[in-house]
Amino acid sequence: MNGTVALDVQGISKTYAAVEAVKDLSFTVRQGEIFGLLGPNGAGKTTTIRMSLDIIKPTSGKISVLDGPMTEQKKSRIGYLPEERGLYDDMTLLDTLLFLGQLKGLSRQTARERAEAYLREVELWEARDRKIEAMSQGMNQKAQFVAGTMHEPELLIIDEPFSGLDPVNTRIIKDLLLRMRDRGTAIIMSTHQMHRVEEMCQRILLIDRGERVLYGPLDDVRKRFSTNAVEVDLEGQLDEVPGVKRLTPRNGGYRMMLEEGVQPERLLQILVDMPAVTVERFERVQTSLEDIFVQVVGREVSESEEEAA
Amino acid sequence: MRKSWLVAVTTYRQRVRSTAFLVLTFGLPLLMVAVGAISILTQIRGALPPVGYVDQTGELTTVETVPVDDETLNLTSYANVEAARQAFTNGEIEGYLVVPEDYLQEQATTPTFYGEERPNAKLETGLTSFMRRALLPDAEEWAFERLDDPSDVTFVARETGERVEQGAPLFVRVATPAFLALVFVLTVFTSANQMGSAVVREKEQRAMEMVITSLSPRELVVGKVLGMTLLSLTQVGVWVIGAGTAVGLALFRTLSIQDLSIPWWALLWAVLLGVPGYFLYAVLGAGLGVIAGDKQQARQLAGMLGFLGMGPMYLMGAIINNLGGPLGVGLTLFPLTGPTIALFRMTLSEVPTWQLTASFGIIIVSLVVSIWTVARIFRAAMLMYGQSLRPRQIIRALREA
Repeated sequence: MNGTVALDVQGISKTYAAVEAVKDLSFTVRQGEIFGLLGPNGAGKTTTIRMSLDIIKPTSGKISVLDGPMTEQKKSRIGYLPEERGLYDDMTLLDTLLFLGQLKGLSRQTARERAEAYLREVELWEARDRKIEAMSQGMNQKAQFVAGTMHEPELLIIDEPFSGLDPVNTRIIKDLLLRMRDRGTAIIMSTHQMHRVEEMCQRILLIDRGERVLYGPLDDVRKRFSTNAVEVDLEGQLDEVPGVKRLTPRNGGYRMMLEEGVQPERLLQILVDMPAVTVERFERVQTSLEDIFVQVVGREVSESEEEAA
Repeated sequence: MRKSWLVAVTTYRQRVRSTAFLVLTFGLPLLMVAVGAISILTQIRGALPPVGYVDQTGELTTVETVPVDDETLNLTSYANVEAARQAFTNGEIEGYLVVPEDYLQEQATTPTFYGEERPNAKLETGLTSFMRRALLPDAEEWAFERLDDPSDVTFVARETGERVEQGAPLFVRVATPAFLALVFVLTVFTSANQMGSAVVREKEQRAMEMVITSLSPRELVVGKVLGMTLLSLTQVGVWVIGAGTAVGLALFRTLSIQDLSIPWWALLWAVLLGVPGYFLYAVLGAGLGVIAGDKQQARQLAGMLGFLGMGPMYLMGAIINNLGGPLGVGLTLFPLTGPTIALFRMTLSEVPTWQLTASFGIIIVSLVVSIWTVARIFRAAMLMYGQSLRPRQIIRALREA
């Protein structure tokens, strides 16, 4: 099952009155991968997700979900945790999960068994008879995660899954997602938390103003934006190093920008050969995804966006 | 359908346990039963007390007892007002009637009754009976019975010589259809209102986006309508039992069951038109909830819908005066008023079968079109949290479907 295309989006566009929210967007998501859907606020991520789930219709283009157009039957094989989320305030947690689980095609008995297993895993079993309105934000967030995944979908779309969670609960949800991926679930994760994307995603799609600006394996994207620089911690004093065009002191060490054609391995040899210098750390500078995001999108992720994330 | 039923059952369970529902559902009939009980208590308390009278004309015949239904009114004659007042003060009588000196003259003053409070209906009847007996000393008992109901006339058709059944008076004959129509209007008004609020609540709680990836908008609308229908039927069922008990308590001696019954075929048509008619209101209520931005707006829109249902009540006089006229026929064929108007017309006269059949067909078609339309608007509006839908957006939603 791994490697099979779970979602195939070809040339979709969506126009609201005079606004083109999504423009000729194409991408695929495969079983057994976590796919990062990135972009600044208002880039068209949610519209793309909603079109993929047949909640709204694209103005043009074609979407294939689990090997064909979306049908009512396929909805039971898909999980969704939307950004604008909520549960029924006046229902208990267990009743809510039984209802949503059965809507996804589970029998009442299976829904009960799965709900119990998942609630124990996310440490909410003790709160099963509590009303949703009486639960904290973090509990609510975990409850919604269980509601979206307890039917063990083949395709899972999650929008900001870690918002409102403390580090312990973040770890729980992260482990669950990785386990689902290993079982072969295709996971589309939309988030502004770039370090989570770096940790968990194999491939990414970055969209801006409705258009695809970056798409592919995360490693390839990083390579494209690598800066041919190294960071070095050492004992000794440096004024000038052959092959280095700029030398910047940084946190007790140096950041060295290499000249065109000079490989890091060559620089390491030069430093080792220097008699008055002892190299303690030598690391090629990886461009962070956040740097790439800012560079491509052309503006900093504002504080408010971080808050929203 | 399985998913719709699941939504219906969950919606019902969720709402039927709410405090607001329980208070509204059981509080109202308790109030009605209390009113009915007060009425019956008043009747029981209305046991005839001993009273006195003062004949200032000096011409009336002395009467000591007067039969009133199954009881007897005891009267004591006093020579003057002072003696009667003294007996009243001593608690020997609970009131006294003063017949003025000029009562038997052409320009008479009317008699006056003095007591702690206004006499109950039974005592008033007893005093009237007393006056008849006091004025007509030589009349037999049957003569007084005639006087009590002088218009008990038998009508015979001149050509056939057969007796014509007069039946109950008009107000009694319209009582049952009026009650059923009131129940229908109350039910649809409640449903439309609750339906609109339920949909707005669904939007406010933001569970819609998650739910809608599990079933179609049509399944969700049908499920919600079914759930709210069960809820409304529970509520109105309790109200009807409460109202029935209250009315029964209040009128149990006045009306006969035979007078209140309506023909079985009229009842059958009432059900045939009423059930889909009810669903039509519920679906339209859901649609208004979809369009509304908040609960207050949903209630206002549902109020307008309820007015459409109640509208015929205000026109009832004109309709009864000309049952087969354009107004009656037009409102029978209009899907939102058909169930109530057809019931009224069937109870009071004959309604052509084609009109009833056409009314049924129009209601069914309207219901199907409404479900189709509301489901499509629902798709467009469900993600517009806290916003109302503008006409242009409704048209676009229908076009995109």
